[in-house]
Amino acid sequence: MIESAAVKDQIREYVIEEFAKTKGINQVTDQEVLTKNGIIDSMGIFRLVAFLEETFNVRIGDEEITHDNLESIDAIEKLVISKAKK
Amino acid sequence: MAYVLQQLLSKSAKAYPEKIAVWARGRSVTYRELDERSNQMAHLLRKQGITKGDRVGLFFPKCVESVVSMLGVLKAGGVYVPLDPQAPADRVGYIIGNCGIRVLITNHEKREVLTPETLELLESCISTDQAENGKDGKLIPWSMLAEFPADHAPEVSLIETDLAYILYTSGSTGRPKGVMLSHQNALTFVEWCAEEFQVRSEDRLSNHAPLHFDLSVFDVYNTLEAGATVYLITEELALFPTSLANFIETQGITIWYSVPSALMLLLLHAHLTPEKLKSVRTILFAGEVFPMKYLRQLAEMAPAAELYNLYGPTETNVCTYYKVERERLASLEKLPIGIACANTDAFAVTDDGRRAAQGETGELCVRGPAVTYGYWADPEKTQKMCVPNRFEQNFEEKMYRTGDLVTMAEDGNFYFLGRRDSMIKSRGYRIELGEIESALLSHPGVREAAVLAVPDEIVGNRIRAVVAIHVPDSLKPIDLQQHCSTRVPKYMIPEVIELCVELPKTSTGKIDRVKLAAKDPAKEPVSVR
Repeated sequence: MIESAAVKDQIREYVIEEFAKTKGINQVTDQEVLTKNGIIDSMGIFRLVAFLEETFNVRIGDEEITHDNLESIDAIEKLVISKAKK
Repeated sequence: MAYVLQQLLSKSAKAYPEKIAVWARGRSVTYRELDERSNQMAHLLRKQGITKGDRVGLFFPKCVESVVSMLGVLKAGGVYVPLDPQAPADRVGYIIGNCGIRVLITNHEKREVLTPETLELLESCISTDQAENGKDGKLIPWSMLAEFPADHAPEVSLIETDLAYILYTSGSTGRPKGVMLSHQNALTFVEWCAEEFQVRSEDRLSNHAPLHFDLSVFDVYNTLEAGATVYLITEELALFPTSLANFIETQGITIWYSVPSALMLLLLHAHLTPEKLKSVRTILFAGEVFPMKYLRQLAEMAPAAELYNLYGPTETNVCTYYKVERERLASLEKLPIGIACANTDAFAVTDDGRRAAQGETGELCVRGPAVTYGYWADPEKTQKMCVPNRFEQNFEEKMYRTGDLVTMAEDGNFYFLGRRDSMIKSRGYRIELGEIESALLSHPGVREAAVLAVPDEIVGNRIRAVVAIHVPDSLKPIDLQQHCSTRVPKYMIPEVIELCVELPKTSTGKIDRVKLAAKDPAKEPVSVR
């Protein structure tokens, strides 16, 4: 059973360390739209998906890689939790 | 015949007043609305003191208002300067100061990004936000447009050689340089495209490139020329291949133009089928080399589409093109950049100053009405790149040295071989490695810096830096990435930074780039930090 808060912490840490900090952004709120300010670019999206699949042992199909599913830390957490329940 | 860009709009506004001209983020404007709004924008700009030749900056994410603003500036007689909405404040501030922008069209959020020093340079800001911005008196709300005449533009006498826009690209000395482009420069390209691609009023063009990128000149102005519709693809949509493929299908895009890496993302991650691309009749790409492997896949996914490789730096816009010959796809090892466009002369010049013969390597030089006057406020760089055409004995004429090494093969096409200097392309963006080195060196803890390109099949090049620091362990790579983020756009921040005490040198004391490149920890995928 995956714990929601722990999932979110891991996602947040990855997004901040892997993407935001290298772009000079030190803080990202859970609701912030990650694509809007170029925090994540087109190649970054696929690195993020690979991270989620590996870390949470879920499978995310290309058709699920959408703005709605990945737009914020909150949205990513929701996606991971819904996948893990299946 | 049109001799200034805004005449393309006037013509189509008469012919197709109720047709949709621009669509973005679920909103659209008809030709009549675009004509009226841009007339109003021109009057508003006049009231803000903008007259012939004055520069006006555009600093906000792509939307319908982007095109209204571009045309509004032109109708006021001004010169628009599209600024990368994701660029750091320092870079935007530099450009605003460099070309003397006094009026900026922006939005509330982007204006907040600007430094106090930059705001000081601006006399006024026009906001694209629909709502009043209340407390902030210096920001003119979009709703103000309604107070100006819609049925005519202000009087202005322009000729084709007047400037229309300035596009800033990466500069090797650490600061971006502004490429000045006239109405004639743009129209030479637009007229060639109209003829070659037969753009018609039924066409639906995509606009994938950012507006500060010259690919967008085709998307916007060939749409207006033909009375067609352009669909602006936002930065957010461009990131998600599956959504983007659905967008192409549902909007029925007929002409697509982008960098190859955008098409490769679609091929790799969007589960493309010929069904998805069935509306697309023409696919254009430019900005970087399209690997044959992926071009073959694209040709299969769009079996009926015409495919074109377009080539040219911002200074000339597209100057050569190659129409993909499907029967040669299987055997062709490298994609040609093709032959010169109409009304453009392109030829290779050897190191010893001769016109290169077939099979010989030379620097591609371009002459004709599409070629820039040079760089804003930089006569030195202009003289270096826009040189007298020595091959013309009877009158004075300039030609542009592209810095690209090419050869003409037996098939009569030019082939791109490499660069003379350290400019590289990544995701189609033009990047001067020297600009990144300057950014690194501006950090007080850095002693030496070398920035190298690591070739990558999908994005063209990734950026790696090797940095010598004054005090060992005083800095981490992340500190330098953060420092760079304040000076250069995100796509120019090195993905990998290796720290050392001293960079290897050649016998003449120069940084040994060959050794550094060989030491590349890998040629390994760059996700490893």
